[in-house]
Order: sequence, then structure tokens, then C-alpha cells
Amino acid sequence: MSFLHNYIYYFGAFGLIFIGLYIILVKRNLIKIIIGLSILETGVNLFLVSIGYISSGTAPIFSRPEVEAARMVDPVPQALVLTAIVIGVAVLALALSLTIRVYRHFGTLNLRKIKEQRW
Amino acid sequence: MVNPILLIAVPLGLAFALPLFGLLSKKLVKYIPVLALLFNLVVSLILLPRVLERPIQVFIGGFSPPFCINLVAGPVGIIFAALISLVGLLVSVYSIDYIREGPREKYHVLYLLLLTGATGVVLTGDIFNLFVFFEILCISSYALVAYPGDKPAIESAIKYLIQGAVGSSLALIGVGLLYGLFGTLNMADIAGRITSVKPISVFVPLALMITGFGVEAAIFPLNSWLPDAHSSAPSSISAILSGIAIEVGLYAVVRVTFTVFGASSIFMFLTFLGILTLLIGEMCAFSQTNIKRMLAYSSIGQIGLILFALTIATPYGVTGGLFQLISHTLAKALLFLSAGYMIYRAGSMDISTFKGMGKKMPLTSLAFTIGAFSLVGLPPFAGFPGKFLIVRAALAEETTLFTVLIGLALLGTVIEGAYFFRVVQIIYFKEGTAGRRKEAPLAALIPIFILMTLIIVIGIYPGLVTTLLNSAASELLNRFGYIRSVLG
Repeated sequence: MSFLHNYIYYFGAFGLIFIGLYIILVKRNLIKIIIGLSILETGVNLFLVSIGYISSGTAPIFSRPEVEAARMVDPVPQALVLTAIVIGVAVLALALSLTIRVYRHFGTLNLRKIKEQRW
Repeated sequence: MVNPILLIAVPLGLAFALPLFGLLSKKLVKYIPVLALLFNLVVSLILLPRVLERPIQVFIGGFSPPFCINLVAGPVGIIFAALISLVGLLVSVYSIDYIREGPREKYHVLYLLLLTGATGVVLTGDIFNLFVFFEILCISSYALVAYPGDKPAIESAIKYLIQGAVGSSLALIGVGLLYGLFGTLNMADIAGRITSVKPISVFVPLALMITGFGVEAAIFPLNSWLPDAHSSAPSSISAILSGIAIEVGLYAVVRVTFTVFGASSIFMFLTFLGILTLLIGEMCAFSQTNIKRMLAYSSIGQIGLILFALTIATPYGVTGGLFQLISHTLAKALLFLSAGYMIYRAGSMDISTFKGMGKKMPLTSLAFTIGAFSLVGLPPFAGFPGKFLIVRAALAEETTLFTVLIGLALLGTVIEGAYFFRVVQIIYFKEGTAGRRKEAPLAALIPIFILMTLIIVIGIYPGLVTTLLNSAASELLNRFGYIRSVLG
């Protein structure tokens, strides 16, 4: 039980990553694929945050003398996640705006019906 | 002393200042990328002799590594930066006249951002920073592929975006795992500690990162986006994607496997992937009737050849691979740029409509022919020394396996020759409809002419480049030298 308790965030993160990958691989609707992409990115972000997380830790700000450095969470992964979220927003925004154009051109979002480009 | 950080800061700043210049004058906008990349080219050429003696380190924020984000301007980084800014400059001159429709300001902003991302990837010494610059490169190239806004462009852009986004998420998981293992993001620091953990625990991040960056490098089986994206983008962007974006992806793969992981045990696997990529790319290219799809598949083949040469992992092999990379960048840029106006003139991308083009556009056709001959590897063009070095490197291994593999690579070259000569034959020896003789505009002919000259000069004097590439090869192969130069 303590194993699960210690690694619960990793299970959650990789659960989200695999759910996202599954959606991207299986679904045919473009909007659903983009939702899958978003879930995948959320999973990756959760994974990054949980690397630096300490149970009942606090923010790494040296303002109060009674808080020791050992009880602070690692700030680097949080900075990474901020960057990754911004990048994710850019990708999703671009994906959705392209989806609008796809719908305008093809009249459908079903990827099985959009296949003018092929080998 | 010129600081290498200017190579990233100046194009990035100008990219975001560009809409402001657009307020002043609409005509000014298209000259800004030319200025920025000219500046980059000059700076990287000034830095080049200096980094050959000793890599220049830049520490951002004044902390010393591994606590800061650092730039490592070694021979590899600066050679790549010079190549990126050279081709970027020529293509931006070409775009002055070529890009006439659509939101032109946004095109130039994205174009500068793409090249900033590429320069950042090759210069950075921090693995998360590598990911960030890589994303700048990728996102701007998704948007640029969609730039024409017609059916094929939108379809291939969304395909490219989905595959690229999954790939970069995988790479980011790899970065996260590495940080979890070592508590550092500095590439040299990670490289120094990689042997302190069990090989199996670094295998997962390695696999994730090769897959993630391999999508952009179009290594088989991750290349299905490439022919669509390269053929539906504007020709100037195809030249940049083919000549720079996939090479930068390959650089990321090579930097991660060679320097960060030192994973000599998977080189053989990558060698096989390289040969497979080469053969599949060339065979698909052979069956194409669309000129830009043919060139795109040929890029896949060339990437396979370069990957094969680099992962032989001997000084000869890496030098040969880098030489082939440079000659491919120049030749593919030349091919796409000249094909751009031939398509414009013929009104179609179908190869059969190029009949009689040799009479209608003699200079552009000559440029296309030179690019094609160089890519196939005929002397006296730049492709010949590249392929020669690769063959020499493979034969120097003196094993049956490598002899067979280089045989397969040469088979790929024969197929390549077959489809390029077919196009050249159609251009020159098939009678087409009579048309007026009208060349591409001057803004297109200048970059085409410079690329032609460079290909011939490098082909005749390969020594100009090989001396530089030897030190680049030793930087890639000597990871302890890299670690020592960063951490002191």
C-alpha cells in the first residue's frame, strides 16, 4: 500500500499519458485527437511536477527561518512545467485553428474521409 | 569579442519587432529577415576560426554550469549556425519576390522564428532548452506549412502538427526522466554522470528522446508527415524544411546519442535504420510524378544516408556524414528554389509538364540540373566528395556487414540517379509547347546563382570544408572533451 502511496502521482501521470496516446491512435475525429493531445500534455506536465514534489513540502522561498531547505519542493521542474504549458497552449491553439480550416475545406472532421495526400 | 548569444537574440528580437516595422512601411518588412540573417552569417563566420581553437561558453545569468542555462559554441554548433544563416539568408532573398499572396508579415515573422529555433537547438548546452528551441522550430514550421491555406496545405499541416506534437511530448518525458535520475539539465553534467546508473534506466529516456526528435528528423518509420508537408508548403519553405529543419532534427538525435548518452551500443541499430530510411525514401521517390513530392522523398533518402554515415562513429564516417549534410542542404535548397519558379511557369507540379523547360528558362533549368547532379554525387559537384568519404569510411571498417550496407547505400544512389536523370531528360530533351524565354526574377536568380557557385567550389576544393568538419567530428566523438570544456 505504501508503494502505491509513494508513487501515486507517477501512476496518475503515466495513466494520463497512455490515455492520451490511446485517444490519438484510435479516434478518427480531429477534435477528439486534439483532446487526446491535450490529455497527453497534461500527463507529461503532471509527471514533471511530481519529480520535484515532496510530500507536505512548501514553496522554495527563504522568507521564514523555521522552514528548512530539505522541506522545500524542487523549483526547477515547476519552471519546466510553466514553459511546457505555454508551449502546449501554442500547439493546441494552432491545432484548433487548423481544424477550423480543415472543416471549411473538407466539410468533415473525420480523418478517414480526408485523404487527398497519400504515398 | 562577439558573443554567440547574439546569434539567437538578434533574429528573435527582430522577429517580434517586425510587425512594428510593418506599421512604418509595408515594403520594409520583407527586408528584415535578410538583414537579421546577414548579421548572423557575419557573426558566425567571425566566430568560426575562434571556436576551432577552443569552444566558447556562454553562461546565462552569471552562474557557472551546471546551475545555469549555457550555450556551447563549439565547432559543430558554429558550423551548423553558419549553414543555417547562409541558407536562411539566400532563401529570404528569394522570398522577397516569391511570397506575394497571403499575410506576408506573418510569413516573415514565422520564418525568422523558425531559423532562431534552429540556431538555438545547435548552440544550446542545456537539454530542456534544446527542447524549447526545438518547439519554436516545430511550431513555426507547422504554421508555415499551412501558409498557402489551400486544401493540401491545411491537411498536411494538421498531420505534421499531430505527429510533431506527440513526438515532442515523448521527448519531454525523456527530459523529465533524465532530470529525475540526475537532478540536472546540463547536457555535459548529465553526460558525466550517465555511467553512474544502471544502463536499463537510461535506456527508456534514450528511446523516448530518439523517437521524439526522430519525428522531426524523419527517420523511418517516423517520416510519413514529410512528403505531404514538404510538397504542399511554399517552395521557399520546402527549401528551408528540407535543407535545415530535418538536419536540425538529426543534429538533436546525434547530439543526444553521441554526447549525452554516449550510447555506442545502439549505433548499429541506427545504422540499420539509416540504410532502411535511405532505401525506402529513394524507392518512393522513384515512383513519384509530382516534382516536389519526389524531392521530399529524396530528402528522406539523404537523411538516411547521413544517419548511416554518422553512426559508423569513426572520424572518417562522421566527417563524411557532416560533409554529406552540408552538400545536401545546399543542393536541396537549390533544387527547391529552382523548382519553385519552374512550377510557377509550368502551372503544375507534374514532372511531365516540364517539357522544353530547358529552352524556356535556361538558367533555372541549369541550376536544377546542377543541384540534381550534386545530389546524385557526380564530380565536380559537392555531392561527390561527400559520398566518396562515406564509402571510404564504410570500407575502412573492413567487415562484411559494412561492405554489404554500403553496397545497399550505393544501390540507393543508383535509384536516385535514375529519377533525377529522368527529370533532367524531360527538361532538356523533350519537345514542349513553344513558349517565350522568360527567366525567374532577379531576386530569385541571385540566391540560385550563389548556391550553384558554392556547390561547384566545394566540389572542386573539398578541403575548404573538410578541415572544419574534422574538428566538428572530433567534438562529436570525444564526449569527455565536451564535458571538460563545459564543466572545466
